[in-house]
Amino acid sequence: MTLWGVLQVLTLVLIVAGAALAVWLKDLLAAVIALAASSLLLSLEFYLLQAPDVAIAEAGIGAALTTAIYILAIRKTRRKEEE
Amino acid sequence: MIVELSFGVAAAVMLAFMCVSVLRLAIGPTAADRAVALDTINTLVVTTMVLLGVAFGQVVLVDVAIVYALLSFIATLYIARYLAGGLE
Repeated sequence: MTLWGVLQVLTLVLIVAGAALAVWLKDLLAAVIALAASSLLLSLEFYLLQAPDVAIAEAGIGAALTTAIYILAIRKTRRKEEE
Repeated sequence: MIVELSFGVAAAVMLAFMCVSVLRLAIGPTAADRAVALDTINTLVVTTMVLLGVAFGQVVLVDVAIVYALLSFIATLYIARYLAGGLE
């Protein structure tokens, strides 16, 4: 396995870990933060696949827009998920 | 060859640091800890993008890192405003 393969496997493992955290955490703000981290690492994966334009689009939508909309929604509703 | 290999190894070390930050994001007791972990991951991703831009030998890839640094700052700003009780 080459060095670029190692980089891609590490990034993909971190993406899956962030997505699992977003499902697992009961605090919705923490889940949104985990989802933002997963989205940022997905942008890095697009960058590793030599697609910088897709990486810019993913960073703009995933990092800025999605996080802002989710946090506005949490502010209007409840923060803790019910058991 | 040896230059791009060394920059690639540096990017792999940054990804190892990101693993530790994801661990803090998982076990962080408060939301502020998780916000700081997210900001650390942002900074490490920007660093990795610059290092890989050098390793790939393309200047246009550094522009992606600049846009990324700008946008990740906005996300952290939203989380911090929510934690401070803002967002009127």
